[in-house]
Amino acid sequence: MARPYKNNYLPSFDGIRSQVLGHPKLEGVIDNEVREYLAGMQDECFASVRFSRPHHSPYIQPRGGYATFDRQQKLTKALSEAGADFLPLTIDSYTRHNDYDRAQLLLEKSLGDGKDYLNGYPLVNHGFEITRLLFTDLNKPVSLRHGTPDARVLVEMAIASGITEIEGGGISYCLPYSMNYPLDRALLNWQYIDRLAAQYSTPERPIHREFFGPLTGTMVPPAMMIAVSIIELLLAAEQGVCSATVAFSQTGSFFQDVATANVFRKFSAKYLQELGFTDMKVYLAYHHWMGAFPPDRRKADYLIACASLTAKIIGADKVITKTRDEAWGIPSIQANVEAIQETNYVMSKFISTSSLNSPNIERESQLIAREARSIIDAVLDMPGNNFWYSVNRAVHMGIIDIPFAPNLANRNRLLTVRDGNLAIRIKSAGSVPLDDTAIEEERALLQQYPSSFISTADQMLGDINVML
Amino acid sequence: MCTQDNPNRIVIGVIGHDIHAVANRVLSAVLEDAGFLVCNLRTNNKIQDFIDAVQEVDAHAVLVSSLNGEGENWCPGFRSQLAEKGYENLLLYIGGNLVVGEADETEVVSRFRSWGFDRVFYGATDLNWVISLLREDLANGAAL
Repeated sequence: MARPYKNNYLPSFDGIRSQVLGHPKLEGVIDNEVREYLAGMQDECFASVRFSRPHHSPYIQPRGGYATFDRQQKLTKALSEAGADFLPLTIDSYTRHNDYDRAQLLLEKSLGDGKDYLNGYPLVNHGFEITRLLFTDLNKPVSLRHGTPDARVLVEMAIASGITEIEGGGISYCLPYSMNYPLDRALLNWQYIDRLAAQYSTPERPIHREFFGPLTGTMVPPAMMIAVSIIELLLAAEQGVCSATVAFSQTGSFFQDVATANVFRKFSAKYLQELGFTDMKVYLAYHHWMGAFPPDRRKADYLIACASLTAKIIGADKVITKTRDEAWGIPSIQANVEAIQETNYVMSKFISTSSLNSPNIERESQLIAREARSIIDAVLDMPGNNFWYSVNRAVHMGIIDIPFAPNLANRNRLLTVRDGNLAIRIKSAGSVPLDDTAIEEERALLQQYPSSFISTADQMLGDINVML
Repeated sequence: MCTQDNPNRIVIGVIGHDIHAVANRVLSAVLEDAGFLVCNLRTNNKIQDFIDAVQEVDAHAVLVSSLNGEGENWCPGFRSQLAEKGYENLLLYIGGNLVVGEADETEVVSRFRSWGFDRVFYGATDLNWVISLLREDLANGAAL
C-alpha cells in the first residue's frame, strides 16, 4: 500500500529546482538572498507564527488583486488599515495559466490606459523586488491566493517577495481550475511547492501552506472537501511541511457547517497521528459563500454577515472574505474594506464560549465522518509505491469526484442535491466508495427533509442559486 | 430547415483562461432542455476554438460566456474572424462579467456590439429570457 510517510521527498528536487530557477522571469531569485530576506522579516509577517499565537476570534483574510503596482499598493494599505489580519495577493487568470507574455501585454495596456485589463496581480511579471515594497512596514503575513496547476515559478517568486503563506494543492488547484492540465503533473508540481516551502522553513518560522477545500464552491459535499484537504495535507507532510491550514466554504446549511468543522478537526489530527506526522500544526479556515452570489448588494451583505457569524461559532482560525461586489466581478477597494469591517463587526459582537451541539449536528457529523473516512481510506489502501500516484489514480477511477470541476480527468458522476434544510445531500455516489449505511442515511435525510423542486433542471438551478 | 428531428445546433463555451464551469454546465442543460443540440466547448477557449466548432457542427448560433472579465481582451475581431470563414451572418451572443471591474453597461454593450456580437448580456441574466430571444432571432434567420 502506498501510504504517505515521513521524509518521502520528491526525488531529484534540486535538479528540478535548478531548471525552474533557470526560467527567465526568475532571473535574480537566489536561494541564499531569499533566505536572508526572510530572516530579516518580523515574526508577525509569518502566517505560521500568527496562527501559533492565541487568538480568540478568526483572523480576517480578504482577497484582492489588481493589475498595477500602484493600485495594489493602495488596496494593500486600505485592507491593512481596515483591520485585515492577513493580507492577500490574488493572482490574475493569465498568470494562473502560465501565460506570462499576455499578462505582460495586458499589464502594459493597463498602465497605459489607467484601467485594469487583468483580474489580479501578475506577480511573475512584476517581480519580487517591487512586490516586497507592497508589504514592508505593514508587519502582517501575506497569503498567495491563486488557482494554478503549475505554480512553481509563481511560488518561487512569491516566497522571494516575502509571502509566507501559499494556498493551493495538486488536486484543489488542478481539477477546479483547469480543463486540460494533466493531474499527475499538477500533483508533482505541488510536491515541488511543498518541498520548497519546507526548505525555506525554519523551525521557529515555517512557510505556511493552505489547502483549497472549497474546490468548485458549488454543491461539493462536505466529505469530499474534507477528503481532498486531508489528502493534500498528507502530501504536504511527506515533503516536510509542518504548518498548514485546511479549509472549507459555507455549505448553505448552518448545522452542516458546524458538523463539517467538527470532522475536519478530528480527522486532521487522526490521520496525521496515525501516519506519524506528529510535528505538523494544523489550523482551520472558513470561506464565506463561494457559490453564485446574489447580485442584490444588500442580500450579499446579509450572506456575508451570516458566514462571518458561522466562522465565529465554529471557532475557525481564519475567515476568508467575499464582498458585496462578488456577483459583479472584481470588487472595488471600498467594497473590500467594507467587507472587512462587516466581518469584524459581526465576529466581535458575537461571543460564543462553548461548542455547539444538537442531535441534528451529531447525526450530520457521524455521516460526514463515515463518508470522509471511506474516501480517504480507499486512497490510502490503494496498491502502489507512491501516495501521490494513488491520488492520481483515485481521481481517474472516480474515488475522488468533484461536482462541476472543469478538468477532463474529473469523473462528474457524483450527484448532489439540497434537501429541505438546504444541506448538501449525495443523491448518487458514482464511483465514490461510500458504504450502504452512508447511502441509506443520505436517502433517509432527503426523505425526511424533502426539497420542493419537481424537475431535475429546476433542482439543479435552484440548488446552485440557493443564495440569490 | 430546422425541425424537431433536425434541431438548431448551438456552440457554447467560456472564453479566455476562464475556468468558471458551473454556469456553463447550467446553460448547456437549459439549452438541451429547450430542445437545442448543444456543442459545449466548456472552459478555456479562444476565438479559433469557437470557429472550429462552428465548422464542425455547422452551427446556427454561438453563445460565448465570460465570468472572470477576460471577455474584453479576447473578443475584438470575433465577427471578422467568423466572416473570414463565411459566417458573417451567424448569430453571435455573449454574456457574463465581460470586463474587469465595474464599468458602464451601455458602454460595454456598445463595445461588444462593435465587435460583431448580436446580443450582449451584461451581468446576471435570466436564461429563459435568453432562450426566448434566441428562438426569435433564429426564426428571423439572420444576424441582427
